[in-house]
Amino acid sequence: MSTPSPRTPVLNRDGAGQDDTRAGKLIVMLVSSVSAVLVIAALIYATGTHARSAASAAALGCEPGLTSEAHDCITQPMLASEYMAIMTPASQQQNVDVAAYTSSEGSHLATAEAALSAEVMSAHSFDASLAGIQFPAAMTPLAQAVIQANQARAGLLAEQARSTSLTQLRSFDHRVQVASATVQKEMSLLLTAIDKPVQEG
Amino acid sequence: MPPRNAAAVREPATGHELKPRPAKSGLNEWMEVDFKFGGSRIKRKTVWLVLLGAPALVPLFFMLPALITLNSNTFAGSVDDTLGTGAEICLFLCLLVTPLSMLTGQRWFVPLRRWYGITMAFTAFGDAIAAGITDNFAGGVFGRLAGHVFELMGFLMVMLVIPILITSNQWSQRKLGKYWKRLQRLTYAIWGLLFLHLSLLEGFGFQSGTNGSGFEGDGDPIFHQRLYQYSACSVFLLALRLPPVKRWIVARQKEGRNWLVWVTVLPIFALFVLGFAFIINEEIFKGVDSFTENPSAE
Repeated sequence: MSTPSPRTPVLNRDGAGQDDTRAGKLIVMLVSSVSAVLVIAALIYATGTHARSAASAAALGCEPGLTSEAHDCITQPMLASEYMAIMTPASQQQNVDVAAYTSSEGSHLATAEAALSAEVMSAHSFDASLAGIQFPAAMTPLAQAVIQANQARAGLLAEQARSTSLTQLRSFDHRVQVASATVQKEMSLLLTAIDKPVQEG
Repeated sequence: MPPRNAAAVREPATGHELKPRPAKSGLNEWMEVDFKFGGSRIKRKTVWLVLLGAPALVPLFFMLPALITLNSNTFAGSVDDTLGTGAEICLFLCLLVTPLSMLTGQRWFVPLRRWYGITMAFTAFGDAIAAGITDNFAGGVFGRLAGHVFELMGFLMVMLVIPILITSNQWSQRKLGKYWKRLQRLTYAIWGLLFLHLSLLEGFGFQSGTNGSGFEGDGDPIFHQRLYQYSACSVFLLALRLPPVKRWIVARQKEGRNWLVWVTVLPIFALFVLGFAFIINEEIFKGVDSFTENPSAE
């Protein structure tokens, strides 16, 4: 009895003798060929990365004033988008915290203090995120002013959160409002600078 | 850590299941050897499973500082990308185990399939929870989870993961019998929904920059297109699951012409590696931003 050749085709179920792997071979060869073409195309495409990056940066109007070490190019929309990405959730969180404080400042000392602590935490988090944005040199002082004003406000809120009575707690309200107005003013200046067309030099 | 038993969030068998070759190779035997570690004996396989399984926790690890400090800015800014991409990575790794086992004849890493499936589930849950709380879309929690079509796809994926996760143990496998495999085939539905999810997110592959992957000055918008990355990876995972292709591979292996299989499959695998490398790139980029609590708008 002879041993079947190792290359004997695999028979299909009805034993008709047809090579049951022909379809598989066809599929795998086709997919493999297409994949090979795609990989080669990708490698060729990769060689043009630098030129493409420079071209698209120029097309997008990347300004020298907006270029930093961390990014090859920062466009104004990118900067605005980055700023809004931290600003929007921070504002939402602040609204929630302020609402919680307002509803409890007249009756529940512990709840009001918890709301203030949450606000302090949100403020610190916002400052850290803002400090992480690579602003161009002209805008850096404005961003720092926002951070300083926000830190001053956070300090006041932290002090308020240590109040021992509701009366003492409410006595901070006016100072906090003034500090918040300062933060808003600094933020408006920064946002105006971000939205303004970039000045050369 | 990866369990020793390969019960599963395992990827389902097809109708024409071809049994992988029995583990005869030297590597399989080498992996079964014990060695002394402290006062006990550990299999080499266990060490390798832990080493290969641990990276699946990295996406969750990236979000840890933001979770500890309850930093809503970071969650809103980059959790979708960090955990969403992390879940995609775990899904692909889970789906990769079977083709690699078939190609190499190695069985020792099969338990990773279950582990990657479980980490995929938890990463996806984390993504959904964070998106439900911190996203800016209107409509409350449900609006944030399913208010847009691409989000609805993501929400459905998370819903489908639940029964797979609950039944990814040997007890369920015994109790469900033949239905267990059918249930686990929901993994394929998740794979398909991920295609729709990314298609809608990436403008069906025609967008980049603000409306798609990568930032506007990117020199590699094609490589950063998440739909292309998904497709490049899926070609390999899908092709090697097709019954005719599996029959062809097994036939060549029986003939002792495994080299032919490797040569043929190599370009498809190279495409997978290319796509996967950029998914990992995205994960590291976004993950580091999340870890340092400095979410990027890119």
